[in-house]
Amino acid sequence: MTDKQIDFTQSVSADGAVKLNSFTAEKSYDILVLGGGPAGLAAAVSAHESGAAVLLIERERKLGGILKQCVHDGFGLLRFKERLTGPEYAQREIERFIATEIPYVLESFVVDISHNADGNYTVCTQSAAGMKSYSCKAIILACGCRERTSRQVFIHGQRPAGIFSAGTAQYFVNIQGTMPTKRCVILGSGDIGLIMARRLTLEGASVAGVYEIKDMPAGLSRNISQCLNDFGVPLHLSTTVTEVFGTERVEAVAVEKVDERMNPIPGTREVIECDALILSVGLLPEIELANVLKIPIDPATKGPLVDQSLMTQAAGVFACGNVLHVNDLADWVSVSGETAGHGAAAYCRTPRAFSQSAVRLEYSKGDFLYALPQYLDPAASEPLTLFFRSRADVKGKTITLSLGGEKAAFSKKYRRLIPSEMEAVPVKALSFGDRAQYSIEMR
Amino acid sequence: MGGIATKKLSSLQNILTRKYPGVECSEFGDSIRLEGTLDDWETIVRCGKFAAKGGFRAVINDVKLKDFTAPPMRTPAVKDSALHGLTPDVLVIGGGVIGCSIARELSRWQLKVLLVDKEDDVAMHASSRNDGMIHPGIASHPGTLRGEYNVRGNAMYTQICKDLSVPFERWGNLILYREHRFGAAARFLFAYREKALGVPGKHLNRRQLEAVEPNITKEAVGAFEFPSSGILSPYKLTVALAENAVENGVQISLNTVVTGMDTEHGAITAVHTNRGTVRPRAVVNAAGCFCDSVADMAGDRFFSIHPRKGECCILDKDAGPLSQRSMGLIGLAAAFSASKGGGIMRTIDGNVLVGPDAYEQPLREDFSTHKDHMDMVMDKHLPLINGFNRGQVVAYFAGVRAPTYEEEFIIEGSARVQNLVHAAGIQSPGLASAPAIAEEIAKLTLGRLGGKILPNERFNPVRNASPVMSKLSLSQKQELITKNPEYGVVVCRCEGISKGEIRAAARSPLPATGLDAVKRRVRPGMGRCQGGFCSPLVAEILQEEGVETITKKGAGSELFVGNLGQEVRSDD
Repeated sequence: MTDKQIDFTQSVSADGAVKLNSFTAEKSYDILVLGGGPAGLAAAVSAHESGAAVLLIERERKLGGILKQCVHDGFGLLRFKERLTGPEYAQREIERFIATEIPYVLESFVVDISHNADGNYTVCTQSAAGMKSYSCKAIILACGCRERTSRQVFIHGQRPAGIFSAGTAQYFVNIQGTMPTKRCVILGSGDIGLIMARRLTLEGASVAGVYEIKDMPAGLSRNISQCLNDFGVPLHLSTTVTEVFGTERVEAVAVEKVDERMNPIPGTREVIECDALILSVGLLPEIELANVLKIPIDPATKGPLVDQSLMTQAAGVFACGNVLHVNDLADWVSVSGETAGHGAAAYCRTPRAFSQSAVRLEYSKGDFLYALPQYLDPAASEPLTLFFRSRADVKGKTITLSLGGEKAAFSKKYRRLIPSEMEAVPVKALSFGDRAQYSIEMR
Repeated sequence: MGGIATKKLSSLQNILTRKYPGVECSEFGDSIRLEGTLDDWETIVRCGKFAAKGGFRAVINDVKLKDFTAPPMRTPAVKDSALHGLTPDVLVIGGGVIGCSIARELSRWQLKVLLVDKEDDVAMHASSRNDGMIHPGIASHPGTLRGEYNVRGNAMYTQICKDLSVPFERWGNLILYREHRFGAAARFLFAYREKALGVPGKHLNRRQLEAVEPNITKEAVGAFEFPSSGILSPYKLTVALAENAVENGVQISLNTVVTGMDTEHGAITAVHTNRGTVRPRAVVNAAGCFCDSVADMAGDRFFSIHPRKGECCILDKDAGPLSQRSMGLIGLAAAFSASKGGGIMRTIDGNVLVGPDAYEQPLREDFSTHKDHMDMVMDKHLPLINGFNRGQVVAYFAGVRAPTYEEEFIIEGSARVQNLVHAAGIQSPGLASAPAIAEEIAKLTLGRLGGKILPNERFNPVRNASPVMSKLSLSQKQELITKNPEYGVVVCRCEGISKGEIRAAARSPLPATGLDAVKRRVRPGMGRCQGGFCSPLVAEILQEEGVETITKKGAGSELFVGNLGQEVRSDD
């Protein structure tokens, strides 16, 4: 083993005796990073570079997170100025991480987190080495997101084999080397669905079409063009799957056009023969661990509410990557990891509470799907990156960020803004005016 | 037939002619047989129910639905001679909770017992498609078999679940009402039933109700509480019963469908299956929705099943703590109807089950769900608890009940076939009644077998259950992982299920060979991701355990169409 993976078996003594009635207490750290995907790796490295003692905990067998199965390219254009595949992108981050010799554990599942009276946290894990506990000053949540299921979009009919989420289908094809379909229908135009339309086509399957209930695609424009148009896969907007047929294996699905309120339009039903229904109907931050700590969640991002250093309202707990909000590019996931890593290291040097005077970001819900960080501490001085998504497909709009000063902290006219593409607004220096204001506007 | 029967028949025919033109009735043994064609299924069922009041033993409803041909029973693809020539003492047909309870009960005796089920696992139909409630018995009329067996069965569950290591809790249930008028009227009804059936219960006013269920909305003004009501996982129970039966010598053959029977001198001499012909000394009919077909094969046709479907949904564990007891709102009509109208119940695994509804339709194994039914179920029950909402739904499913037109259990030795015993027409509260039904059926079967049957001295009611990590104390977990590190490796992140638990399911006395079978035993895929993350990992473990073709639920439901690089181009 070339890296510094901790050998757990050593903490169980030779006769197999473990300390009973409690979690086996492990070494204390400044920061525990929960998750070894691009967010966690970047967070761990930047926290380490800022002088903190870090341990990274990963629940899967390997580092790299979901990138492991994203064999398509298009990663790293911002971060590495290169076109990389997911595994290549992950490998660069992993190599950087390994080089720092930050300790990490694999196949370790966090079962509990508690906040102690002294302000420290205890994180308890389950792994092949037993039930262990780690004490730390700060936690970085980097647990990624998960896919919405067929049940969450209320698909009815029968429940045969052959209904897969796009990510599961991607795992089957790219990791296990198995083919889940010969001819499928894809519901939802999320990026993984588009990527899988191309992937399955390349592997010899036929994709009958991608069906999207909304009147615009949910995925990136470049994926519509490169994954559907280039392969002749039709995209049907304002159309959804309403019923699944087949007792053992999917035999067909019914699709129907929907009106502007997304209700099926009578008379538009069409039955399409296929052996699989693949769903790409949205991603949700995996906030289970945030919920353990009762961390307040933003209903818009579905991730924790955070301040400029990505600290949640639980002092010392930070969030980055897709657990914070679902990003469109892995590059931004890494960027937020770095922000959280620096923030958590600073917290370890000077612990602070979530600022009482932090100003809440104001924006119109009619114009924006969401924007974050949701809070800004007027006392903070570090530069920040603000992320937002437009609610609608709009052209020629100007986005203005104001911090109460006379001059806008940021202002830019965008040729086009679409919900599927996240926008990042770099704010070099924070300069607040007399009144603490933090708002973005679209005009 | 005497004059009285003829008179009964002609008066019934007169009314049928008036109310259901085109329906003819005739005597069929002691039963009444209806024939003809009608335009809609509801009317056919109503007609059958009406005839059930005609004073005959049972109704055989052969009235056809216009322009409808019932699809044939789904049968397994396999054809071999694995069972050919077997001569079990008892053949149990059906691996639901009833068949498995009976098989386990019979394993107390020195008998060769063979249980067959046409599906890839036990509990594939109604036994995995119900709400898991061990009813207290209060919903049935005193003097009915449904009431009697329910109360007896309910009392037996504490011991059975302890023996089988099946989680079971008596959280009690609440029958809620929204009008004081109803409360006043129903008090007498329930007081009578409590006394007649021996079911403890008490009345709660609004204040008392709020005290025990603080999240209850203003929908209910009062409730009747029945603390003996319990909750368990019906499929875990069925699997546990089957496993314990196997441990005690029962042979279970899955993917095995009975295709016909030979009878001679009023006794079954041979039972044909897709896996060969067996010659049992006695046959138990526990075939659920198909128990009338099984009776027919044996030449003992005397009742009909009318499949009554229900749809349920499951809420995320986030919603679990919001209610403690099972509960449902009822009006006066529902108090006397065949079904209990569904409700909400905290499941034994910490989710909330909402539903089921109940509707008549002609398909016996159509488990599809429908938007309108699910909407109705949610609109009806979600408003009961503050904090429940549609966003919490993680899963939904449908099941089909197997009632007779008499809406009563048939637990008896066949009147025509000497070596046949029926556990038929088992609908709600069939799960709650199962242990008592099994006891009775075993007794009847022993009687039909005759001769001296010795107890099985090696019978052990305690199942050798595999460890369940979530039920262990911290020190037990440490110990288990030290012994077998796979119990430390979490495969299902939503439910926290370890690799060791999944492997144990694949190695149990009734091994899980498909994803759904693993799910029924240890739950991976039942959480919020619905198997998105864990199904590939579970598939890998099954492969390691020698399962060559990964399926969801048996042949035909293969997960994969091939491997990468193979020619998979579609035929069109």
